[in-house]
Amino acid sequence: MTPMLFGPASRQLFGLFHAPERDGSVALLICQPFGQEAIRAHRLFRVLADRLARGGAAVLRFDYYGTGDSPGEDIDGELEGWRRDVCSAHEELRRRAGARRIVWLGSRLGAAMAVLAAKSGRCDPSRLVLWDPIVDGARYMDTLRAGHVDALERSYCVPDPIWRRRLAKDPDAFTDELFGFGVSPTMRQQLRALAPQTLQLTALHETVMLADAEDLAAHQWAQAEAARHMPVKISPFQHPLIWTSDPHPNNAMVPTEALQRLMAEVHE
Amino acid sequence: MNDCKETPVQFGADGSLIGIVTTPGEGSMAPVACLMLNMGANHHIGPRRINVKLARQLATRGISSIRLDLSGLGDSGPASGSEHFLTQAVYDLQAAMGLIETMLGVRRFIVIGLCSGATNGLSLAVADARVVGLLMFDSYSFPGRRTRAERMVRRALAAPTNPAFIGKLGRWLQRKLSPSAAAAAAPHIFDPDPPEVTAAAFRRSMSQVAARNLAVLLLYTGTLHVTDRNRDQLGPFANEPFMRQFEYEFIGDIDHSLTSMAAQQTFMTVVCDWVLRVTHGGPSASPQLATATERPAARAGVPRPTQAFARDALP
Repeated sequence: MTPMLFGPASRQLFGLFHAPERDGSVALLICQPFGQEAIRAHRLFRVLADRLARGGAAVLRFDYYGTGDSPGEDIDGELEGWRRDVCSAHEELRRRAGARRIVWLGSRLGAAMAVLAAKSGRCDPSRLVLWDPIVDGARYMDTLRAGHVDALERSYCVPDPIWRRRLAKDPDAFTDELFGFGVSPTMRQQLRALAPQTLQLTALHETVMLADAEDLAAHQWAQAEAARHMPVKISPFQHPLIWTSDPHPNNAMVPTEALQRLMAEVHE
Repeated sequence: MNDCKETPVQFGADGSLIGIVTTPGEGSMAPVACLMLNMGANHHIGPRRINVKLARQLATRGISSIRLDLSGLGDSGPASGSEHFLTQAVYDLQAAMGLIETMLGVRRFIVIGLCSGATNGLSLAVADARVVGLLMFDSYSFPGRRTRAERMVRRALAAPTNPAFIGKLGRWLQRKLSPSAAAAAAPHIFDPDPPEVTAAAFRRSMSQVAARNLAVLLLYTGTLHVTDRNRDQLGPFANEPFMRQFEYEFIGDIDHSLTSMAAQQTFMTVVCDWVLRVTHGGPSASPQLATATERPAARAGVPRPTQAFARDALP
């Protein structure tokens, strides 16, 4: 595994390249979730990358600008820039992996980034694996701000009742610091505008969507894309990972079912 | 980012350790660097990316740092040997110090230890004289009977008017009634020894670092209590002579996970000020901590109770 900074000097990104340990034809680009969800999923993607590299795949994990180890402050993060970051990471992986078929794995908001980046036509993924995709940004932000208050209440010895009152009264409350990650007004606006109709697949690559059958928004979006004759496979998938929890022992760090399913999808 | 430079590094005996070195972008570099390591199972960026934010803020004030994953955590590979994890953590941190010495010529270090990271930091401080400072954030805690009783009373008084306690009570009951829920909480993973063994190890280690005049700041948060009267989290150790030379600070407005941006800002202000004092050999803070009122209230929208912020530092 090689840690590195890549991309243009004005917008460098931190990445970790897992070189393939044997011959193979696949390369994987992992498009991470946002904020606390990225922290939660970090170990899973690390293990997934290791396993795939051992099996002959080249893998690149990276942090969007303003996230993780990449340059930029929290509030520098915004969806348009992150879409370009996906393409920048794709180019880096292409440079390192040569002629391999490049698959993108996007989870949560990372899945939306993958769809938007693929649609831009600037890069050529052969397959998109979308795991628990966020297709309704407004609802996602509401879930995150409610989760933020829940996290505050769990963390303080005596929580402040004002938090919950603010959450109920003010629809903008806590949207500027979701789970302790700063969110700019631009990013909030972009999240609110993120809707199923803004996420359009293309026919240039296959897509598989993995989501719990109860995630109606994701399933309805994928069905609508299938109705538009996009090559999308819809696959119900349940796992025990709680996306916004802290990496604590009461929730599996690397759920076996998720690891195995994702490995299988990458190699399909 | 122009104020600092960041370099991803791969180091250690077999190159399996991963970290990021942050150095000041311009101006002079202090002769002391900070080590930031894992908090529990969080990878090296820390909870809420706090290690990244702190590293960059320190760099703007001339302090270099490395944030790293210990063996088997985050992005680092597993250890090749079979050492106890505390021993291995010391080796890993010594490898990080060796790297910084080679890269930057810095030979003195301050460990920023969050939660379980403080345990590893203390092991390193005992083993290696290059460590000149240790921050212990919500780490060892030995609250006495009065402290625990007061905590319970305050929570009980708050409960009837605070809907958050319904959830807290539910989770508490679940842990009490369900063996599987109790096992899932698994507190022993981070504190595997019986309390008396932990206390004895704490006394031994703190005595040793006190004898070396190591600068130590024990920092505790509103996750543990709402108030602090007399170094309450140290319980029986509070008045031990060897403990009196260490700084102690309780900030009720911030929490263990630094969940709010305001909590992060308060934490970074406290840590940066302390690191600079240790680096430049400044005086310890006064017991009254005159700067307390200058900091933003970390619990947004709530006036900070005066008792929620108390520092006790004796020369």
